[in-house]
Amino acid sequence: MAKLYLRFEQSQSVLREVPLTQGTATIGRLPDNSVQIDNLAVSGHHAKIYWDDGHYVIEDVGSLNGTFVNEKRVGKATLIHGDQVKIGKHVLEFKNEGAIALGASVPKSGPATPQLDATVVLDTKQAREMIAEKGGPVSAARSVTGAPLPGRERIGVLRVLEGKTDQERYVLTAKMTMIGKSSLATIRLKGWFAPTTAALISKRENKYYIAPSEKKIKLKVNGEDSPNLKELHDGDLIEVSKFKATFSFQE
Amino acid sequence: MTLAVEVAGKTDVGCVRANNEDNFGYDSRYGIFVVCDGMGGQAAGEVASKMGVDILLEYFRNTAGRKDAAGQEAAGPSQGSSASPTRQPATTANGGPLANAIRLANKRIYEAGERETGKSGMGSTVVAALVRGNSLTIGNVGDSRIYLIRHGEIQQLTRDHSLVMEQVRLGLITREQAEQSEMQNVILRALGSEKEVEADVEDLLAVSGDLLLMSSDGLTRHVRDQEILKIVTAARSLEAACATLIETAKDRGGDDNITCLLLKIVDRPWYKHILHKVFSGGRQWQNSI
Repeated sequence: MAKLYLRFEQSQSVLREVPLTQGTATIGRLPDNSVQIDNLAVSGHHAKIYWDDGHYVIEDVGSLNGTFVNEKRVGKATLIHGDQVKIGKHVLEFKNEGAIALGASVPKSGPATPQLDATVVLDTKQAREMIAEKGGPVSAARSVTGAPLPGRERIGVLRVLEGKTDQERYVLTAKMTMIGKSSLATIRLKGWFAPTTAALISKRENKYYIAPSEKKIKLKVNGEDSPNLKELHDGDLIEVSKFKATFSFQE
Repeated sequence: MTLAVEVAGKTDVGCVRANNEDNFGYDSRYGIFVVCDGMGGQAAGEVASKMGVDILLEYFRNTAGRKDAAGQEAAGPSQGSSASPTRQPATTANGGPLANAIRLANKRIYEAGERETGKSGMGSTVVAALVRGNSLTIGNVGDSRIYLIRHGEIQQLTRDHSLVMEQVRLGLITREQAEQSEMQNVILRALGSEKEVEADVEDLLAVSGDLLLMSSDGLTRHVRDQEILKIVTAARSLEAACATLIETAKDRGGDDNITCLLLKIVDRPWYKHILHKVFSGGRQWQNSI
């Protein structure tokens, strides 16, 4: 099970142990947080930690002094075992021992396989046992197969240079992000003549791609017309309608 | 300009099995599209997959215009989310209802399995898509898949809940090893196998020109992603694409039932939209088979 260990500054003594089970854990100075840290360096509502697609993710919710993971300021970051989250003068160490057990390999015999290749469902308990059986640490399992350790997620950011939008900076965490006037758009354009759907940014395996969302929309990347899908690189300039922004990777 | 969905679907028993445990259905009026792949002996698989399709379609027909009223029933006993730290159910406009509809289908299939002798252990996978304008919400339990074809590229939107793909994600085996594995038929989640199920539900975006392929594993075990892309983009119609996909899988053994439901997001100018409504251009819905 994943846990947070709260310490103050350099001190080794653990002030509190917070098990992360399910749902969202909120961190902040005010008592309505699930992890309350009563210190003035901590914002009322500072950050939150939640489970997303197999990982715990920490996200700053607009704190004044920032959220740091291993000394780096983050807007949002995936937590891995051993990460040090600094909030004000406090340190939360993230430990996720449960995830290590998942590195197990599955015995060849498997469950009682019925005739032909009829589909079999493992119930949750069986699946856990099966995956956990012969469960060595992930590192050992990986060294056998030689698969690389998954890298930290690269998160893209758009900084708005021109155009009426509701924010100046957008952290692109979603699989798909729309630019436009539509209520579905994350990057919400304002103004009478702004297109409802202007362009779509997709995120795939740590890469980002942009394409106009309708044929009649003129999208430019680094000053060149870009009618099809185009991968975004650090420093790229995006122009669509009256919207102009630069793309970069966080970290 | 409004977005509309064109759709074609086809299912085939394959070359080996005696009966078809796959099912699919859709209702374009509510933007709901479903494929289910059933399992369980003595025809129970067919019952489960049919129930899966029918319950999802009914859910959106009944709750249209209402604020997710049936959601509460589906949530079941109050310990809904205490099992394990899992993905948060989507809470957005469409993600919530889709998650609720899948939970409801699970509950009904599970109860039917408990109640009726000979049907215990029946279950089904489900992939569902809810398309409303530019909003696309997908839901998945099991190893059926949804692919998105956009700008000449194919992408699997769902994550298989199968043992081998779990091992691939953990870096224990390669994708190639997974495709050879004799454990491919082991799935980790299904509708109806346990009292509660956790569906992967995700809110995405659709744009004009997008193609969505929803299929059972009878297709994807035999036809690779890049081949699917080639077949679908080369076909002259959605119907022809479905037929060619199924034929290709059958040519390679077709040892399982094969189902394809292919959607295309198209721009429809307002006047065509009205013409379409008045003259009902083709079928708007299809119930389970």
